[in-house]
Amino acid sequence: MPARLDPVDVVVIGAGMGGAAFCARLSERAPKLRIVCLERGGWVDTAAMPAWRRDWQRATINEWASSPNLRLKAPSRSPSADYPIDDSGSPFKPLMWSGVGGSTVNWAAHFPRLHPSDFKTRTLDGVGDDWPFGYFDLEPYYDLNDAAMGVSGLAGDPAYPPKPARTMPPLTLGRLGQTAARGFDALGWHWWPVDAAINSIPHNGRAGCNYCGPCQQGCVNYAKASVDVTYWPQAIARGVELRPHCIAQQVVIEGGRATGVIYRDADGREVTQPAAAIAVAGNGIGTARLLLASGLESPALGRHLMFHPAAYVRGMFREELDGPVGPIGCALYSHEFYETDERRGFRRGVHLQVTRENIPLMQALRLEPAWGRDAHRLLREEFRHSIAILVLAEDLPEAHNRVGLTDRTEADGLPGVKVEYTLSEHSRRSLDFGLDRAEEVLRAAGAWRVVRLPLAPLTGWHLLSTARMGRDPATSVTNARGRCHAVPNLLVADGSLFPTVGAVNPASTIGALALKIADDLAQDIA
Amino acid sequence: MTPEFLAAVVDTLLPGDDALPSATRAGLNPTPYAALHRAVFDAIAAQAGSAEIFLRADESARNAAVRAVERAAPDAFRTLLTAVLSDYCEAPPVLTALGWRSEPPQPTGHAVSPFDDATTERLGRVRRRSGLWRAP
Repeated sequence: MPARLDPVDVVVIGAGMGGAAFCARLSERAPKLRIVCLERGGWVDTAAMPAWRRDWQRATINEWASSPNLRLKAPSRSPSADYPIDDSGSPFKPLMWSGVGGSTVNWAAHFPRLHPSDFKTRTLDGVGDDWPFGYFDLEPYYDLNDAAMGVSGLAGDPAYPPKPARTMPPLTLGRLGQTAARGFDALGWHWWPVDAAINSIPHNGRAGCNYCGPCQQGCVNYAKASVDVTYWPQAIARGVELRPHCIAQQVVIEGGRATGVIYRDADGREVTQPAAAIAVAGNGIGTARLLLASGLESPALGRHLMFHPAAYVRGMFREELDGPVGPIGCALYSHEFYETDERRGFRRGVHLQVTRENIPLMQALRLEPAWGRDAHRLLREEFRHSIAILVLAEDLPEAHNRVGLTDRTEADGLPGVKVEYTLSEHSRRSLDFGLDRAEEVLRAAGAWRVVRLPLAPLTGWHLLSTARMGRDPATSVTNARGRCHAVPNLLVADGSLFPTVGAVNPASTIGALALKIADDLAQDIA
Repeated sequence: MTPEFLAAVVDTLLPGDDALPSATRAGLNPTPYAALHRAVFDAIAAQAGSAEIFLRADESARNAAVRAVERAAPDAFRTLLTAVLSDYCEAPPVLTALGWRSEPPQPTGHAVSPFDDATTERLGRVRRRSGLWRAP
């Protein structure tokens, strides 16, 4: 029998964006609650991050790779507490980080909001589903989340409703961004410097970015906001107990109520933590895995997995550009084609994002051919002479795209997990349209050669919608307040809740949503 | 498996050109690869006829032998290539030839000019547009 601890009010599972924001807000709004957060991984040691080392490049394909499956194969142990994911049934490979801070430890910190239309796709466009609330209901939480994380950017973007002045000026565009902007200007298209959860100047006790480059291998000087350095210090100061290296095994559900969590502690002992309410925030894969393993009965659980289908076009330029200088995901973006235009042959839109360029090893590895004299020529043509535009499309909720369990029991004690995802014809049309536009802008900017990557497998950062909100228990897992239809004191507080996903990076919305779910719970308890 | 054969294989993978050094000229020591990727080297030797024949072969014949092994055992070949490229891309002569630096990203980072007023003014064209988002 697992040891049984004294009951607490709320157990939160997962210390990433959703869990951290939820804990910080709930502890602020309901300070008398005893809140415990279980996190399967530990704190990251910035002194051990690769950016200090001469062999930093190889870390990007080994212990600091974005994919947990790659990290598990690395010759040295990763600081991320990973579990394997059977991704053989998906063209996109799930990416994440398991530890305090979750995937904000190794994210790119591009921090856009959804558009108002993203919350009403069924009403406006007859596809997907409406969220149970709208953009302007979430807007105050976007603002709170921005303030907590610290955002560099520029107000006045006409692609969005007015936003408050950004806390810090935008990150510099560099030669790469200025060159890309030339293409957008030539075509008369929208572009804007990104909102980034990265300090462009010193802010809130954290340094300004020094444009070192490898954001996805952690930020050594805390210029990049990750929730281990933003929300967690607040939450802990307010009394939230964070228990690292504790792996939730099961949410105990009895008579339609969640009564506690069985977890494996840092010493490998099984422990039962009783609680009055439980909130799960383990991302679209981890949350679904745990809830499926716990026997939560919901026909929608694990289904409607969405990633944001992604593709690239890379343009080669004669002039010397920056290469891998600056935050990888944060130069500029265009929402010229974000809203629906039926003439394009698909509904909803695409996000075009000008990123910074790859490090030499990453560029060399993806060349075709990757060896021989032609590889050298291609590497010289590209390195410091290329601009990549990422095309993100909005995939629509489809029940057959899902997270499921395998017959294996993994080393962490939980059933194995697999993802099954098929790129829809609709998504393919969206991506192809976006690729055409990206190629157009690169050529307008002066590219002498362009190369397409029609599908980018290692872009599965956005793990969304597997425990979606809604009104109908047949097609959704939770209600609008994040409470499971079948077990009302069991909540979800991460991107699993999204009914639809827009075409932009989700972290800003995950944080805002977790703040709202925390407020709703605090209100219910009061 | 001689050091000469191992060197010939890695220099077939990364032969160098007018600007970039070959793998061995960049300072890579091919001997450690043999322990972890023995099967690939054996397959290349077998494909060529023997290690000695591979050593005597011209560039075209060496490339053909390597390409055949790449086709026959893509995963194992890719693992070797990844190991060699990992060493190559952090070799100072290679980074210098690419116009990059061999120091790690930190603590210095990169000096860049901040976002400037000229860029903000340039955005005036975009700022004056309206109707890019739809009211629900």
